[in-house]
Amino acid sequence: MAADLAGAKTESIVSRPMSAPAEGTLRTIATFVATFGIGVATYIAIAEADGGAPVCLAGGGCETVAASSHSELLGISVAAIGIFGYGLLLGAALVRGDLGRMAGFGLALVGFGYSVYLTWLELFVIDAICQWCVASAVLMTVLFAVNATRMVRYVGTSA
Amino acid sequence: MSAEAEQAERRERLIKLGSATAFLAIVVVAVLIVIGQSQGDGGDASSIDDAAEVRRELGGIPQRGLVLGDPGAKVTLIEFGDLQCPVCKGYAEEVIPQVIQSKVRSGEAKLDFRNFTIIDEESIDAAAAAIAAGQQGRGWDFVELFYRNQGIEATGYVTDEFLTAVAEAAGVPDVEQWNAARASNRVIDRVGAETAEAQRLGFSGTPSFAVEGPANGLETLGTPGSAGDLEAAVENAR
Repeated sequence: MAADLAGAKTESIVSRPMSAPAEGTLRTIATFVATFGIGVATYIAIAEADGGAPVCLAGGGCETVAASSHSELLGISVAAIGIFGYGLLLGAALVRGDLGRMAGFGLALVGFGYSVYLTWLELFVIDAICQWCVASAVLMTVLFAVNATRMVRYVGTSA
Repeated sequence: MSAEAEQAERRERLIKLGSATAFLAIVVVAVLIVIGQSQGDGGDASSIDDAAEVRRELGGIPQRGLVLGDPGAKVTLIEFGDLQCPVCKGYAEEVIPQVIQSKVRSGEAKLDFRNFTIIDEESIDAAAAAIAAGQQGRGWDFVELFYRNQGIEATGYVTDEFLTAVAEAAGVPDVEQWNAARASNRVIDRVGAETAEAQRLGFSGTPSFAVEGPANGLETLGTPGSAGDLEAAVENAR
């Protein structure tokens, strides 16, 4: 009996790829975070649409960042690009299998890298911090961590 | 080959593909950063853009020094700016034009640009050039054109050549006189006095705004977030 239990425990550890969360859990987290990201980016885009700025919960950095020339890329609002990016990440989270894993990882890496750059701009070029942009950067970091875990642990498996 | 071995091989192949995806993603980020850094780098004396747009924006509005609008307007909206400041450029392009159209062109308020040089010595050179342009009735043309052609701050783009190109595009009639004026102690001292005034009002960054009108005298506004906020401040000051 004891040997059976020991055997079952060993088999259980071997059949799950290391100790990563179940892929379903990772996809649920990614779906939730990407949806939240769409909400944050949409709020920033609407607030900036008529030359305004999102409301900062403390300090006045949001106005400064919104008025900066860095709030646009080739004439397109960075917030609008964010909505598109989060939308793609949401799609990747909803797609099962290796296509979803690879796409999620690649998109999240782009989003994470660009968020790092935007945060650097806020700190060292614009000299102001927009809390909504920081929130988006945090969400993108979580998405990168979740998608990287999903890709590394589950790609090529049938989990 | 067993199913497990096949799966292991497939997984290895996909991990390699994932590495390629990571590389591609890094390239995409690098391209986005290069585009972001290169867009509107400005600061190019050989290519001063948007002169026609600025002429349209300011056409028909009286200018005296760096004050734009009807000298008899009861409300004065004061902007303290540094010509090298990228956020001020954003305001010049996206916020100020609406205020000019709604409040200055109508004669409800006049707009007074004052220099608050916070970045480096080149900001003082640019400020002096703007004041000197103002002495020939082209101060606001100079300020607006400088912002639209602004380079990356503190990179040495504010050269005599660049300032002269902006002055010429702004329509300064006598460039020789403008050159003499911008180098004069009187103009340099005025830049210092305006910066000291901004500090006395408690401002620490640019752009900062104040409004002066019959209702409440001089009020500091800080950095309002939109043209609507500035328009409301003008209305409250009447």
